Amino acid sequence: MRQYVLRRVGLAIPTLFFVSVLVFAMMRLMPGDVVVRMVEGQAYAPTLEAMRKDLGLDRPAHVQYLEWIGGILTRGDFGTSYWTRQPIWDEFAARFPVTLELALLTILVSVVIGVTVGIVSAVRQNSAADYVGRVLAILALSVPYFGLAVVVVVVPAILFRWTPVWTYVAFTESPAENLKIMMVPALVFGVTRAGPIMRIMRSALLDVLRQEYIRTAWSKGLPERGIVLRHALKNALIPVISLIGLQMPLYIGGSVIMEAIFRLPGVGLFFFEALTRMDYPVVQSVNLIVAALVVGLNLAIDLSYAFLDPRIRYR
Amino acid sequence: MPSSTRASGTGSALAGPAALAGAPVAAPALARPWPWYVDVWAQMLRRKPLGVAGGVIVLVMLAAALGADVLSPYGYAETSLRERLQSTSAAHWLGTDQLGRDLLTRIVYGARISLYVGFGAIALGSLLATILGVGTAYFGGRVDLWVQRGVDAWMAFPALLLLMTILSLLGPSVLNITLVLGVAFGIQNSRIIRGVALTIKEHTYVEGARALGSGHVRVTATHILPNVLPTIIVVATTGLSTVILTEASLSFLGLGVPPPYPTWGGMLSLAGLDHMYQAPWMAIWPAVALSLAVFGFNMLGDALRDLLDPRLRGG
Repeated sequence: MRQYVLRRVGLAIPTLFFVSVLVFAMMRLMPGDVVVRMVEGQAYAPTLEAMRKDLGLDRPAHVQYLEWIGGILTRGDFGTSYWTRQPIWDEFAARFPVTLELALLTILVSVVIGVTVGIVSAVRQNSAADYVGRVLAILALSVPYFGLAVVVVVVPAILFRWTPVWTYVAFTESPAENLKIMMVPALVFGVTRAGPIMRIMRSALLDVLRQEYIRTAWSKGLPERGIVLRHALKNALIPVISLIGLQMPLYIGGSVIMEAIFRLPGVGLFFFEALTRMDYPVVQSVNLIVAALVVGLNLAIDLSYAFLDPRIRYR
Repeated sequence: MPSSTRASGTGSALAGPAALAGAPVAAPALARPWPWYVDVWAQMLRRKPLGVAGGVIVLVMLAAALGADVLSPYGYAETSLRERLQSTSAAHWLGTDQLGRDLLTRIVYGARISLYVGFGAIALGSLLATILGVGTAYFGGRVDLWVQRGVDAWMAFPALLLLMTILSLLGPSVLNITLVLGVAFGIQNSRIIRGVALTIKEHTYVEGARALGSGHVRVTATHILPNVLPTIIVVATTGLSTVILTEASLSFLGLGVPPPYPTWGGMLSLAGLDHMYQAPWMAIWPAVALSLAVFGFNMLGDALRDLLDPRLRGG
């Protein structure tokens, strides 16, 4: 097991290296000069040359890359924002809890809906409930979450002549107020993400329910509830968890849009505002941090399989 | 009895060695009198009602896109300030927006842009995925190893963040978004193509062809490509809905197709949110159109996948 962990961590390192090169190269290889845009668009510097020098773009590329990565690895220095002149890492760390909360609530909503409907669909295969569940899952897959979000924001305003004020309240200040605000985007986003979870839950559970140890459990006379929930569910959850892991980039990408619609001060809004203000050092570093998080999370999920299914052994 | 697609797969596999003797590849002696793609559509009509429904939606969308100029009495950018924010009426079936533009007209023209970007990106992406996937699978070794680490790095990013960054650097335009979505689609799906090509490469008929002196180009073009084709078709059709949805998300954020050209994502966008409180139909109809289109492509893609390549089911 320890060897497996070491090997997986070892494999993640070249991936992270490529990630950093990709992010770094993007700003330098794209047609269209970043510096021209930053000076003309936001007047971050009086002249192009000053801007170039300030960003360090007047030096050879490998020197710039080593400085950037060196700063991150040795001092945890991700650079400073051009707009606020604050260290990027501080801003990221301050905003990360909002995005994390939104992601966790979204996953919670989609898992509760997806797993419940998936179980009912699988246990009552080919019943009316199964068909309704499957059609709902397909519909959920087809509705764009940002479209649903806009409709959810706009329609109550017209029906009830009531426009909710979307002012963010931190969880530490008032948990109830905070959840009231976060639940709407989490519900909208979670409902649209429940579709794939339901589909994979259903097919995984159907698979497990046909296995021999389940037949043994039946023949011992165990009640259906115990067989499904205690014996089958744990094994059937593995593909569900890997799906959530695979979709993590989707949750993070979606948080940009949800945070922009609901004005939540999270990492997504930070990124979106940095893009519109052409604050490219922020864009570069946030991309890197997020990609590193995704790589780490996928690793953690791979390792969690060993806990969920003891039959999986790593060499 | 094996399904028809299996049979056609084996058919072209058997045709491999025959091709060396100069016989045409596409006419195996075992096959039915009609080509395999006719058979797939026949199967679809007989066994896949949802797939047919999806196909009908796609056809309607195609008709709207092609006939947009004829179908609507208004121009997509034709403003009429006297008729701003009007509700449903005989003159404007779906109402008007804040500049008095006819919503139905804009939705019909929006189908054009969605399909244009969708098909363009998929065509480019499928080509890229095929070249990358078949190339790395066929040659293997060091090239494969490095290309795959690059693909790993690309997939570690939340696609939306990466696409937003690139489009903000390139600037919004129809051509740019098509190119960027195509490249992203190609890189992501090269994995699937590579996996299939790897198994086909191991067949003895490929070895036989090599032994008889066929060059790399001939082996890939006549023996590997025809057998990878069903997978490419499946990946392309299921990918269309994702590409259309991604284009809509990017246009929603103002990074996709620039105004005044109408796109469903752009019509929903944050920029018009203030007006939507007075005219909710501005949000509802584009969301409905987008959901229907995604639903159609999902259903069609799912049905084609089941018929062409059951191995990819649930993937």
